[in-house]
Amino acid sequence: MAPQVRARPEPFPSEADRNSSEVRLQTAALFEVNRLSVVYPRTRGQGPIPVLDDVSFSLARGSSLTLVGSSGSGKSTLLRCLNRLEEPTHGTVRFNGCDVRSIDPRELRQRAALVMQTPVLFDGTIRDNLRLRPVAHRADPSETRLADALAEVGLSSDFLDRRAETLSVGEKQRVTIARALLTDPDALLLDEPTSALDPPNVALVTEAILRLRQTRALTIVAVTHQTDLVRKLGGHLLYLVRGRVHAYTCMDGVDPSALGDTRLQAFLAGELTSRLEAYEK
Amino acid sequence: MSGAAVIALSPFQVGLATLLIGIVVAISILQALRLERDLLVASVRAVAQLYLVGLILAAVFSAAHWYWIILILLVMMGVATQATVARLERPVPGQYGIAAIALGASTAFTLVYVLGVVVRVQPWYTPQYIIPIAGMILGNAMTSAALAGDRLQSDLRTRASEVEAMLALGFSGREAVQPMVRAALRAAMIPTVSGMMTVGLVQLPGMMTGQILAGSSPLLAIKYQVMIVFTLAAATALASLLFVWLAASRYLTPAHQLRRYLL
Repeated sequence: MAPQVRARPEPFPSEADRNSSEVRLQTAALFEVNRLSVVYPRTRGQGPIPVLDDVSFSLARGSSLTLVGSSGSGKSTLLRCLNRLEEPTHGTVRFNGCDVRSIDPRELRQRAALVMQTPVLFDGTIRDNLRLRPVAHRADPSETRLADALAEVGLSSDFLDRRAETLSVGEKQRVTIARALLTDPDALLLDEPTSALDPPNVALVTEAILRLRQTRALTIVAVTHQTDLVRKLGGHLLYLVRGRVHAYTCMDGVDPSALGDTRLQAFLAGELTSRLEAYEK
Repeated sequence: MSGAAVIALSPFQVGLATLLIGIVVAISILQALRLERDLLVASVRAVAQLYLVGLILAAVFSAAHWYWIILILLVMMGVATQATVARLERPVPGQYGIAAIALGASTAFTLVYVLGVVVRVQPWYTPQYIIPIAGMILGNAMTSAALAGDRLQSDLRTRASEVEAMLALGFSGREAVQPMVRAALRAAMIPTVSGMMTVGLVQLPGMMTGQILAGSSPLLAIKYQVMIVFTLAAATALASLLFVWLAASRYLTPAHQLRRYLL
């Protein structure tokens, strides 16, 4: 059984804390995941499939967390539980102190914006894509805001009039990040944001993410296989093996060779995922 | 109604018609199609089924009680529901209920309108009207509902990431599946629309042919056919809309999630 590691919330005064006069217990944690399990229900010909088993952690506002593990370890599912695209079978996810089940999922997803592995842009121009918002929130962003959002991911405002299908995958991915930023989210959830990209684009997208983290004080949760992104993002690292927390550790100022876990060391030394999977067998 | 009465067919004359099947069998043998067995079974089934239906209808026509009509309509509904489900390439969760509601509601509405408001049949259960018209409606509703359901399902499967991208942006489940719902409805309704474009030009619709053979004037037959074409268009649109709505809601949760494991 994997050790149940739990991080203490870091003291990090946020605006919510300072303004809080509510009775509700306020913590500095933006996400608190408590004993989370996900089992995919039985479908035709298949029994129930356990995906996550008893996962707990908490993540302070403004900090970052990387979810690593081999494919099928449940890291994407865990990420999708954070904005409730996935429903936990047991356990709770709290966002900003509130159980996510008490928040309108549509609201939650604008506060915790998800960027997927394969960028999804819809027919039309980049401007159309950036302005894509539910009717209830259609405070149409100004041209300046759209241009600013593109600038934040390193794209010029010339892109606004380009048709979505004329962009490279790397450019599309940066547009989806810009689109996610336009709701001014508290958190950015990244599901293998660079794994569909070629090396030059990996560098550009990584750079954009890091820049955002600094300028916006965003809380970032990233699922990734790119050790470079893990190192540069810093913060905490959660290593999942078959749906369980195998290791949970702080990366800041820590020499990877001192982490004391051979699998993690191997991962951070940049070994291939296949090697990692071989370790787990 | 005017015109000559229909020429009665003796069993011998029907037997002469069976000779035509001999041509099909001959082609099958000469071209080594290996369809002879199937052809034989199909021919026997066609004769037996039609005779059986004819006998039942003859009995119902002479009895003409409303409860017999309701029973027949229910049986037709049941068969159509089963056929709709069987035509789906992959099972849709809750498919029997969805098909029954989609077919039942679309057929009931169009049938009541066309018999009660348009033709004004007295009494409403006159079998000569209600049975063939209900049959045509159900047959068309069935085809379009299955077409819509198949298309919805395959689109949701191949475009799941689009749905989730919409959900992740804060759209509701309904809004997120709207493009797939629209594509499914278009796919189901286009055959009806294009059918209306060419109706009468290539071949005469079956009902019109039957009416003309039975001695109606072509002008009266046309009026009935116009009515039927529009009725079928409404029924197919309603049936596919209901089917797609109900099926789409099966793939969504109240928390605006896509139940990917069902796809």
